Amino acid sequence: MSRARQGGNTILEAVLLLPVLCMLLFGMVDLARLSWTYFTLQKILYGVGRYAATQTAVNFCDDADPILADAKNLALRGIGNAAGELQLAALTADLIQVRLERVQPDSGALGDCECTAAGCDNGQGGRGPDFVVVSVNGGYSVRTNIPFVPSETFLLRPVVRVPYGAL
Amino acid sequence: MGRLARQRGGASLQTAVLLVPVVFGLMGFAVDLGRLYSARNDLKIAAASMAEAAAAELAGSTVSIERATAAGQLAISNANGRGNLYDFGGNQIGQSNGVLNSEAPVLNFFDTAAAAIGSEGVSGGEAGSTTARYVKATVRGEAPLIFWRFLSLAQEGRLNLAAESVAGVSAPVCQACGIEPIGVQAISQDDTTHFGFVVGSRYTLGYLCTGGQSQSALANSVQRVPYVILNRYNESAAVLADELTQIYRIGALGMPANADSAYSCVRYNAGETIWVNAAPLGCNQNRVNPQITTLLCGLAARFDNATVPASCNTVAETETVLSASPIDSDIADIDDYTAYTGNRRRIITVPVIDLASTSTMVVLGFRQFLLEPALSDVTINPTDQNGRFVAMYLGSVMPVRSGRIDGCTLATGPGKVVHQ
Repeated sequence: MSRARQGGNTILEAVLLLPVLCMLLFGMVDLARLSWTYFTLQKILYGVGRYAATQTAVNFCDDADPILADAKNLALRGIGNAAGELQLAALTADLIQVRLERVQPDSGALGDCECTAAGCDNGQGGRGPDFVVVSVNGGYSVRTNIPFVPSETFLLRPVVRVPYGAL
Repeated sequence: MGRLARQRGGASLQTAVLLVPVVFGLMGFAVDLGRLYSARNDLKIAAASMAEAAAAELAGSTVSIERATAAGQLAISNANGRGNLYDFGGNQIGQSNGVLNSEAPVLNFFDTAAAAIGSEGVSGGEAGSTTARYVKATVRGEAPLIFWRFLSLAQEGRLNLAAESVAGVSAPVCQACGIEPIGVQAISQDDTTHFGFVVGSRYTLGYLCTGGQSQSALANSVQRVPYVILNRYNESAAVLADELTQIYRIGALGMPANADSAYSCVRYNAGETIWVNAAPLGCNQNRVNPQITTLLCGLAARFDNATVPASCNTVAETETVLSASPIDSDIADIDDYTAYTGNRRRIITVPVIDLASTSTMVVLGFRQFLLEPALSDVTINPTDQNGRFVAMYLGSVMPVRSGRIDGCTLATGPGKVVHQ
């Protein structure tokens, strides 16, 4: 076999392998990105829940509550105002859903705590919930971008439940 | 030459065979390790939530550990689809998830933070239900491996992950929020641990009155101790605006949440004044102001929330307050606190003050009492002529729900739940 034909074989092998290697490399990066996004999302939700659940006088039933807004901004941007850069693109404060739960006296299970005076609306004189559940309303969408593989959209739906430890 | 080429092809194959484990190993670093970190983060959050929820239930009675365990389990309960899960939200903690298993979480209880933090893997040093102050939650779960399963190290295709979290009661709070602003006079200011009270003894807390003829203690209590209502009247309140309604609410549920801590908290060493319209009357008058009676009606709601006592039926919005006020699940007359099995609604956290008076009073610390029903009754008597009720002194058995630990150094008093 001549040296020129051997060179041709090498190029042919490279041409055949390159797409596979590219797919593996970019796929690896994309899967790692997916993991990182989920990890970050989970951290953000825990940050919102933990902060809000330990502050005095948070009114979870008021969307404009300043403490709740601070909790979201702190978790989303790393600072307690709306000026910082978002940690995750397109994940804004209005997408963060905070739900309240209270132990049901009859069953001992957790149920929704309504925004009423008898429920968890401290703006109406109610007492605090037992748990705060934080999630992303509708899920956080991540799109894969791997060469030679059809792009697909995943909805990440982490949920974090933290005990309420304030008023 | 042809044989050489075949040999070269063999060499390429060998190189490829050698490279596959390396490539899979590297891809495992990117994909599997990322997934493991993410799953471990999920487990860590679950462990922290379990520990915090459990620690809040540690109140020094024989059922504390049982209640704490139940509260911890609620943090990971997925009955309504909102529990803390792991591995991209796909696996329940404490259950078998197909090929992946998660062992039942373990809660260990300790009486000191050092024992809780330093006892990893050691079963000794744990505390009983009446002395437990700290809890360590250990959560385990198997996470899947995609690429590393092709290596000899992890052929099972899964790895068991574990996360731990310790939560417990902090140092004594300097500012307690949501408590009952009932300023109880210290029996002895020299005793900074219990202010002259004896743990487990029952005291008659009677409203401060003036003049010589002091009111007596109620039956089945060792002595009468004067108290006053500290002023937390919120004249600008938008809801439950009526003064008596506010006192009723305080009696039933403690101070309401408020962004202004002056209305919702009491601070150690702060100067306090008496509730303006709850001034003490002469002891010989054998009556108290409606504010005191209303406070007792609110306290009575912790035993019975179905009816408003007749003495308070003119107070506005009592139904609204009662709708948010569950009763204690154990309303029995109790001589030994460790036998108390309730949900802590009868435990009040009060500021202990230097001297009950109409002038400025100083908060010496915070302590807890267990409300007792009146003799031959199932609730306290709101119509008492001196605003008296019996309460067992507990010391500092349970954490307050909200407060601050900065700004002072107290050796004794209730803390709040914190986690490591």
